Amino acid sequence: MKLYQVVVKDVIRRKRRVLYATLGVVIGTATVVGILTVARAGQERIYNQLEKYGPNLAVIPAINNLDMKLGDVSLGMLAVGDNYVSEEKLPMIRQIADGEIRKALKIEDKGNIATIAPKLYINTKVGDTSVMVVGVDPQEELKIKTWWEVNQGKYLEQQDQALVGAIAAEILKLNIGDVIPLNGTNITVAGILEETGSNDDYQVFVPIDTLQKAFSREGLVSSVDIRALCNACPVEIIADGINKDVPGVRAVAVKQIAATEMGMMEKMSKFMLTLAGITLAVGLFGVVNTMMTSVNERIKDIGIMRAVGASRSQIVKAFIYEAIIIGIIGGIFGYVAGTLLAYIAGPLVFEGTTIALVPQYFALALVLAIAVAVIATVYPAFRATQIKVADSFRSL
Amino acid sequence: MLELREISKIYGDGAARVVALDKISFSADQGNFTAVMGPSGSGKSTFLNIIGGLDRPSSGEVLLEGNRIDNLDENELVDIRRGKIAYVFQQYHLLSSLTALENVLLPLVFCGASEEEDKALEILEKVGLGRRTGHKPSQLSGGEQQRVAIARALVSMPSLILADEPTGNMDRKTGGEILRLFTQLHKEGHGIIMVTHDPEIASFANTTVFLQDGRIVKKTNQKVRRTGKR
Repeated sequence: MKLYQVVVKDVIRRKRRVLYATLGVVIGTATVVGILTVARAGQERIYNQLEKYGPNLAVIPAINNLDMKLGDVSLGMLAVGDNYVSEEKLPMIRQIADGEIRKALKIEDKGNIATIAPKLYINTKVGDTSVMVVGVDPQEELKIKTWWEVNQGKYLEQQDQALVGAIAAEILKLNIGDVIPLNGTNITVAGILEETGSNDDYQVFVPIDTLQKAFSREGLVSSVDIRALCNACPVEIIADGINKDVPGVRAVAVKQIAATEMGMMEKMSKFMLTLAGITLAVGLFGVVNTMMTSVNERIKDIGIMRAVGASRSQIVKAFIYEAIIIGIIGGIFGYVAGTLLAYIAGPLVFEGTTIALVPQYFALALVLAIAVAVIATVYPAFRATQIKVADSFRSL
Repeated sequence: MLELREISKIYGDGAARVVALDKISFSADQGNFTAVMGPSGSGKSTFLNIIGGLDRPSSGEVLLEGNRIDNLDENELVDIRRGKIAYVFQQYHLLSSLTALENVLLPLVFCGASEEEDKALEILEKVGLGRRTGHKPSQLSGGEQQRVAIARALVSMPSLILADEPTGNMDRKTGGEILRLFTQLHKEGHGIIMVTHDPEIASFANTTVFLQDGRIVKKTNQKVRRTGKR
């Protein structure tokens, strides 16, 4: 038999009192878990909104305007530089973007992290109507335009297919299966997009390789969209890195409107966590109170233990074990109650928010509950060690 | 082996001042069975508590095996309780959440001894509870509970057992059985100091000390009765 077994048997005997002590821990832990879960769902929602803003970095060809002068007479401005970015620069751009994200997140991942979507814009005519045809990397583009929905047909699967924006399809009177000649190359309409309210509605999307070949622009892209979406993604640093190390291009960080909203959210979370902390403190005093009662009820038992050879530290240990039991039970129930609380209160706080179960908060709830229970037990346990054996029996 | 030198114990102050023990000197040899008698309030329990380190004397010295134990700190007292002195109380004082066997194992839990269930079972067998080891105190009679308490005292192999009216809560028959158990332990070499107010019980001891108003008024030595029958 070990000391903790003695404690467990005692706890089982006094289960009511112990559950009462657990209640304080449950309330505190549940509040923290509930608030964190709701705050997380809110953040998730803002992230989703953030995604709708598309790329957060754009790489375009560097065009310098040179002021042409002859003596003091200005001859006007001359644009110098390429209209295209060479595809050869894409691996460098990826290296810089992924490298900075790895640094920021402290991860060792070897795979691709950022979404890098090259684009080639060609203004051409379909029939008599002038239209913007955009060459895209079908997979990467879809990762940036997460809101794209194919209304009819399918998304781009083969090299000779086209995806047509909703309004473009209307103007050009295109249906699924129609063939469009693009500078001599025949492309079949595979899908028509749902209206997005953006420029995409007026454009025709084809795989970039096909467009490059059709218009003899092999190895050239007009711009590159980069999406590095994570909380700590250093968009500005990536832009600086690209501007410094990749010649002939200009990287621009796209301002994120949602970032302000995220800042608000963080302030809200802090405020709510403060409230949760207060609840936790109140719960802590509840536990202190119950534990004090528990000490008073067990003066005789503590006296017995001391009389048969328990040291003061063993009495403290016995109380700490009891606190750990209370913490474990309180943590489990606190997590369950907190999650339920989030399910009920979440949609009231953030309209249309779906609350997701956060398993890692279970570990947090356990640690928090055990910490609260142990801290609450320190003083009562100290009081227990002050009990004198002779007095403990005399008082009865 | 045990020696008390001019022990005084005073409770309270001024008008509320009570002298529980008044300069008591006393000694007992190894393996001696001492009965402590006297009317209520004569200081019997205080006498026993001071010997056992449960209470501190106001003045005087207590020596156990030649070493002072009246001025030990808490941790040193713990060592005394883990093998030198064990207690048997009138109210048994068992932990109600534990079985008889677990109560007997309790001192071993605290002194960090390895699992010695065999030893505990053997002792329970010896005190006549071999068949009730798995019962909780609430399922045992008073006599049985006291046997568990005696087994608990024996498990740490003490040189001195302090018993405070161990039969005080029992009818004559049960009390007699418990007393026979003490006599048997005495014969096996355990030192016993027992507080009682029953002169018949005292007749089983080889020394009897009479206390009155905190003083030893009489001390008698007698041969131990060979028969445990009453």
